[in-house]
Amino acid sequence: MSDTMDTVALAGNPNVGKTTLFNALTGGNQKVGNYSGVTIEKKSGQFFTPHGRKVRVLDLPGCYGLGGESPDQQIATRILMGRDAEEPVPELIVNVVDASALERHLMLTLELIELGHPMVLALNMIDIAERNGIRLDPALLAEQLGIAVVPLQANGGKGLIELKQSLRRPLPHAASAVWLQAGMSEEEKHLARVKYIQDTCAIAARRPDAAQVAMSDRIDQVLLHPFFGWLILLVTMFVLFWTIFRFSETPMGWLEAGQEWLQAKVSTSMAAGDLNDLLTQGIIGGVGSVLVFLPQIVMLFFLIGLLESSGYMARAAFLMDGFMSRVGLSGKAFLPLLSSYACAIPGIMATRTIDSAKERLVTIFVAPWMSCSARLPVYLLLVPLLLHEPEGGSTRQALVMTALYAVGTLTAFLVAKVLRKKLGPDPQKHHFMIELPPYHKPQWSYIFRHITDRAWAFVKNAGTIILAISIILWALQTYPKSTSSDPAEQLAHSAMGRISQSIEPLFRPLGHDGKTGAAILTSFAAREVFVSSMAIVHHVEEAEEESQTRSSLRENLQRSTWPDGRPMFTTASLISLLLFYIYALQCLPTSAVVARETGSWKWAVGQFLFMTVFAWVASVVAYQIGSHFS
Amino acid sequence: MPTPQTIAQTLQQDSLISLEQAKVGCEFHIRFLNGPACERLRQMGFCESMRVKKITDGRNMLCTVCGTKMALSRELAHQIIGQATA
Repeated sequence: MSDTMDTVALAGNPNVGKTTLFNALTGGNQKVGNYSGVTIEKKSGQFFTPHGRKVRVLDLPGCYGLGGESPDQQIATRILMGRDAEEPVPELIVNVVDASALERHLMLTLELIELGHPMVLALNMIDIAERNGIRLDPALLAEQLGIAVVPLQANGGKGLIELKQSLRRPLPHAASAVWLQAGMSEEEKHLARVKYIQDTCAIAARRPDAAQVAMSDRIDQVLLHPFFGWLILLVTMFVLFWTIFRFSETPMGWLEAGQEWLQAKVSTSMAAGDLNDLLTQGIIGGVGSVLVFLPQIVMLFFLIGLLESSGYMARAAFLMDGFMSRVGLSGKAFLPLLSSYACAIPGIMATRTIDSAKERLVTIFVAPWMSCSARLPVYLLLVPLLLHEPEGGSTRQALVMTALYAVGTLTAFLVAKVLRKKLGPDPQKHHFMIELPPYHKPQWSYIFRHITDRAWAFVKNAGTIILAISIILWALQTYPKSTSSDPAEQLAHSAMGRISQSIEPLFRPLGHDGKTGAAILTSFAAREVFVSSMAIVHHVEEAEEESQTRSSLRENLQRSTWPDGRPMFTTASLISLLLFYIYALQCLPTSAVVARETGSWKWAVGQFLFMTVFAWVASVVAYQIGSHFS
Repeated sequence: MPTPQTIAQTLQQDSLISLEQAKVGCEFHIRFLNGPACERLRQMGFCESMRVKKITDGRNMLCTVCGTKMALSRELAHQIIGQATA
């Protein structure tokens, strides 16, 4: 066996199943979807051929040709043309095509053959082609193109062995571009390719009667209807958010019960003292108050994954294009913005599919205002407090929650409109064009793998950043020790109490004291920390029965007063606090991704400062107006 | 005196319309592309001599090309020139 490892690149149009094939070959769990542009950067993995040879495989972002304009397409083009400084030209290209739309996909195939690399054609989605009545002849196709053709169904694991066998040594010779003749102009070359594709498809991929209406077309007649389409989109969005809150209630109760059981177990199994307090209140209490939101996050990613995988997301982008154009964006910005409701990071990365650089910049700028899952813990703590009712799926709470999402979204659109105008028109106008893939059954295994990934990332975050912040906060509010046994006096005497007092002037105009200010400050690294910080700074005691930590915290907050006896958490101050959390950019990883995607820390810092100042001003205005009327 | 070939050519040119102008439900035979987005349209499958079926009209129209459903703006459809065949 040779020591060198061959590199195979998976190249093809967007949404042909390259990532599905990559996962099937490597056993990986890269995110897959049923819309263009899910893969926005190259990914690599390894697998063994049936002959025991190790092969490195690259999953390239989809591209329609070798001259794509969007950043993701340029990554693929650079590597395929040998212009990437880090990635040498792959030894073999596996060109993945959608067998049900060969006429479109073969254009890239011919361009790749012209590059002169050894190549194999992976004829994916043969099941869909067969269902659509297309009569494929892989042997004839191979003869026409001069390369090996392997029919496969990557999502069903069919044809993978044959594909792996075709990647064995010696690698195939590069095919010759028989459709080209010397001295042809670019225009003539293009026409020659079109003619060759038509001739090839006429014999190797014959289509049935064009009038035949496929199932996807029948579904689209309803889902893309000018009236019912919109109605279904709105209902889908409402059901998505309602399901998240309704069905995650029970598992959240289990997590809370588990946390209480653990706190009681640790508390009774060791002597009282600082260590006991650190473990039960600082660590289990702090981390547990964030982990309890895991079911909602899992539910959100599951539902978004379901929409992506089924093919509905592209339809939503089509429907939304008219609306988005009013704020200077296109339907393509809808997918990144919707993803940002789950987490701004994948949302910002998904903007790579947007052709216009200016539109992309604007989408990146406003994406963090789509209320992400990390804000949920804060909303769930504050909304019941605002409505003076216990936490539960009441209609009033659902309406307020919807309003919070709507405020962030509408502000994002308004700012996008202003910013888009300020940046001016594109040098070359970009018009809307999107492929609407056939509806697929969701790929459950990949959806569940994706959920597991995101859930693990959340748990890891809770186990690292949030754990560290919980310990620091506990230490700050425990030391230096006071001689008094009164928890309130101890807190005032502690470092946290002193910090709270010094920063209070900054938060007083918002209707909050230094303690809430300190909790806000700690949540600038990750906003979900706010709940555990509030629990710690308000010294919430462990409940004797199965009462919830948040309920105890809410009771504590309801009792909180200013030194003159006025209640601290009034309607005005709670609205002010909610507004601050809607608008402030409190997520360090998001800023890091913005810097990477825009290629400049200036943009990330500017966005952070703008959003923080905007949040502070909006909260001050809301509180001052609210207190005037109340 | 124009030859029959010239007359046929003129008649054919007269019958050329853009995809934007084509009626919903018709089969459209692309003759050429004319505009700044030609390259992008070709990459997406709207090549010369391809057949397109127009499904809906509007600000963004729906059509099928090579068995794939595409949504494209009126401005792009305006750059696709051909003949409505049915």
